[in-house]
Amino acid sequence: MINYLFYRLLAAIPTLILISMLIFAVIELPPGDYFETFLAEQEALGESVDPKKIEYLKETYGFDQPLPVRYVSWVAGMLQGDFGYSFEYELPVNEVIGSRVYMTMLVSFITIIFTWLIAFPIGIYSATHKYSWSDYGLTFIGLLGLATPNFLLALILMYFANVWFGTSIGHLMDARFIDQPISWEKFKSIVEHLVIPVIVIGTAGTAAMIRRLRANLLDELQKQYVTTARAKGVPPFKALVKYPLRMSLNFFISDIGSILPSVISGAEVVAIVLSLETTGPLLISALKSQDMYLAGSFLMMLAVLTVIGVLISDIALALLDPRIRLKGGRHR
Amino acid sequence: MLILNRFCLAIAMMLFFAGNLPKVWAAELGEPPVLEARIAAGELPPMAQRLPDNPFVVDMPSLGKTHGKYGGTIRTLMASSKDIRMMTVYGYSRLVGFDGELNLVADILESFEVSEGRIFTFKLRKNHKWSDGHPFTAEDFKFYWEDVALHPELSRSDDSTEMLVEGKLPTFEMIDDLTVRYTWEKPNPLFLGSLAAPRPNMIFAPAHYMKQFHEKYQDKAALDKMVTESGERNWVSLFINKGRHYRPENPDLPRLDPWINLTAPPAEQFTFTRNPYFHRVDDQGLQLPYVDAVVVGISSAEIIPAKTGSGEADLQARYLRFSDYTFLKASAKAHDMNVALWQEGKGSQLAIFPNLNTSDEVWRGIFRDVRFRRALSLSIDREELNQQFFFGLGNVSANTVMPSSPLYEDEFANAWIEYDVDDANEMLDEMGLKMGPDGVRILPDGRPAEIVMEGAGNSEETDIAELLKGYWKEIGIRIFNRNIPIENLRRRNLSGETLLTLGVGLDLGLAVADLAPNELAPTSQAQANWPKWGNYFDSNKVSGEAPDLPEVTQLMDLFAQWSVSSSTEEREEIWGTMLGIYTDQVFTIGIVNGVMQPIVYRSKLKNIPSEGVFTFAPTAYFGTYYMDSFYFADE
Repeated sequence: MINYLFYRLLAAIPTLILISMLIFAVIELPPGDYFETFLAEQEALGESVDPKKIEYLKETYGFDQPLPVRYVSWVAGMLQGDFGYSFEYELPVNEVIGSRVYMTMLVSFITIIFTWLIAFPIGIYSATHKYSWSDYGLTFIGLLGLATPNFLLALILMYFANVWFGTSIGHLMDARFIDQPISWEKFKSIVEHLVIPVIVIGTAGTAAMIRRLRANLLDELQKQYVTTARAKGVPPFKALVKYPLRMSLNFFISDIGSILPSVISGAEVVAIVLSLETTGPLLISALKSQDMYLAGSFLMMLAVLTVIGVLISDIALALLDPRIRLKGGRHR
Repeated sequence: MLILNRFCLAIAMMLFFAGNLPKVWAAELGEPPVLEARIAAGELPPMAQRLPDNPFVVDMPSLGKTHGKYGGTIRTLMASSKDIRMMTVYGYSRLVGFDGELNLVADILESFEVSEGRIFTFKLRKNHKWSDGHPFTAEDFKFYWEDVALHPELSRSDDSTEMLVEGKLPTFEMIDDLTVRYTWEKPNPLFLGSLAAPRPNMIFAPAHYMKQFHEKYQDKAALDKMVTESGERNWVSLFINKGRHYRPENPDLPRLDPWINLTAPPAEQFTFTRNPYFHRVDDQGLQLPYVDAVVVGISSAEIIPAKTGSGEADLQARYLRFSDYTFLKASAKAHDMNVALWQEGKGSQLAIFPNLNTSDEVWRGIFRDVRFRRALSLSIDREELNQQFFFGLGNVSANTVMPSSPLYEDEFANAWIEYDVDDANEMLDEMGLKMGPDGVRILPDGRPAEIVMEGAGNSEETDIAELLKGYWKEIGIRIFNRNIPIENLRRRNLSGETLLTLGVGLDLGLAVADLAPNELAPTSQAQANWPKWGNYFDSNKVSGEAPDLPEVTQLMDLFAQWSVSSSTEEREEIWGTMLGIYTDQVFTIGIVNGVMQPIVYRSKLKNIPSEGVFTFAPTAYFGTYYMDSFYFADE
């Protein structure tokens, strides 16, 4: 186990180096840079910018140096916890992301729990009542959630929440609570505003999870040990939960790998539509304006979390399911 | 001369008020209630000591406004935290500023004097104070000039083109505590306009605050410590970030604006509260601004119209479009809001730019033929576009100044805009562009006359482009539309890869003679009709190409003349000639201007004109309409 862990951690290093190069290259790929975007934006408004000033900015941020030098200084900075400087916000990247990361985690956790709460019972129900009307009905609703464009659902719900309940449009709380210390009123306002993003982001994930749980569970339910258990008179619920459900949870564990980064990034498109103070919109706008270090460092954080998440899920799988062997394949 | 006259008038008015006022405004009209506690606690001096001896008096009745009362908070929405710079624009507190009639008047300054167009003497108001209560004096100009503008490193981040006349900086003199003088060898017509600009040319800084970040006044160890603590690269960027005036990000920076930002970014909401030392009063002696605070919420641009419609803003115009009007109007009643329609201030809402510097030699020759540009213009049915997209509320016009500009002439707006397809076809025939069998004209080298027209616009622009395609089919030109990101468009443009591009018209639809006519001559590579010529100018002849079309060189000469002109009359004449050439030559093709801009505001919010022009320059959006005079009336 220790050896395996060591090997995996070692393998993560070249993976991350490769990812960092890719990220840097992809962000650099479109012609131009942040300063051109900046210039175009200013001029669209009628503000003029002295070319001398752009030159100064480029120099301050090291843009006069060749690409490899910039790459190395970026990576070296990250190793020391300095994620660079956001041009757009004119603040260190740590501060920009840090200010939003807690809210993002809150939204993501609640969404994930919501997804589980809905998907598990429905998945189990559909599997045990396969091909019944209720199975079709629930699956239909789940797929409807998957098929409806998230942003559209978000807009519609937002409109009705405003008209029927007077919930202010967008954001995670009423404007008057921003920067206020937490209070019962503020808490209520946050909960009120969480409903829509949780439902919208949740519905999409729910359908996928229902289908996977149903398929896995169906596989297990057809196995002979289930039949045997039933024949021996094990109560139906126990015959479901004790082994087949546990066996069909592998997919769920391997999902951890993708859950970890999504906790930090949140759902981007929905967050933009709802104007949520999460990191998603930050990332999108940084990519659009080629805010190099903000976008790059953020993607890099996601990459690191993905690598860690996959590692965790691999280890958890090995612990939970003795059939999975750590050494498989490597020593063949 | 005119400036001088206006200036004398302003002085006379000020003296008149100064004679009568102190008694009135020191009288018992009262302090803003929100400040009373602090005054009682001795944190703030009473109003008479906070105001300059001779404050700027906003005469409400003469502006058609009513006398207001203190109190309330205006909520408004912006799409990014960078947008808080709009508060510097809206507040419009300038050394000299434009008034409602677009005359330059002293604002922060008590008076200014210009002689020979090159010697500028500024007199400050006695006892004027920064928002932290520290006196605002000539020392602040001296500090900025000697230790910032002339500092080899700090000056590099400084916009100083307006300070240079033929590459030379002025000499600065501090005559006494309240008087400064800038002297150039030749006239500098840009100077006053740049001080009054929405993004002002800053020539002073709060010396008492900024000195702590300057290597000359702070010992190295302490400065290094501050640099490390703030995460800046060096003391230069520390100094620049701490002293950034236009985008009011530093809550500690003393300012002269009506409202001062209290929130440090990153934040989702910025609170601007009244500057207790603001230098303006109304004619009854109440200190402006009337409204205690402005709260700027940051939302995404997409939902700002929806949020406005649900009553979440007290005053909103940015990010609202005319297409939102019906929705806003419908929801206004439920939330006790008003929707006014102001005009946008572009020379044309949408303009077409034939690239005279395109790399395609055949097309370049054709574009440079004025008959072709005129034919393109004549074959557009502007009336139909106006009806279809703007409910007929815009003015059909060439890309030129708007009727509300003092420089407006009918002949500019009407140049080559009547819808006449036959005339257009005749012109093209005359040019020798023969009509092909499929209804598309044949170029001299045998290619069909097909053009890819590129834009970077919104859906409205794309829709208009589709109609243009139809109009030009009638004269045998086939158009293919294409949308690409603006940065790419500019790059393609400059390298000569584009033929026709779509974009917005002149920024200065509301031009006045004292503002530079640089948009009418090739002065910037961003100008899509002659990017290479513009590049030649803005790179100081290092890159780009020299203009070789007689009319364009004439525009360049006129622009050069304007740049050394010493009187407003002279400038008016130059502007007139340039507008005449520009519109007659159809260097850009305009469609409609004066398109409506919805302004949504709470019904109790008063003193907002029902008509106006909502534009960045020269009126600074709400700036020249004195946003500090807006107030909440009782129900």
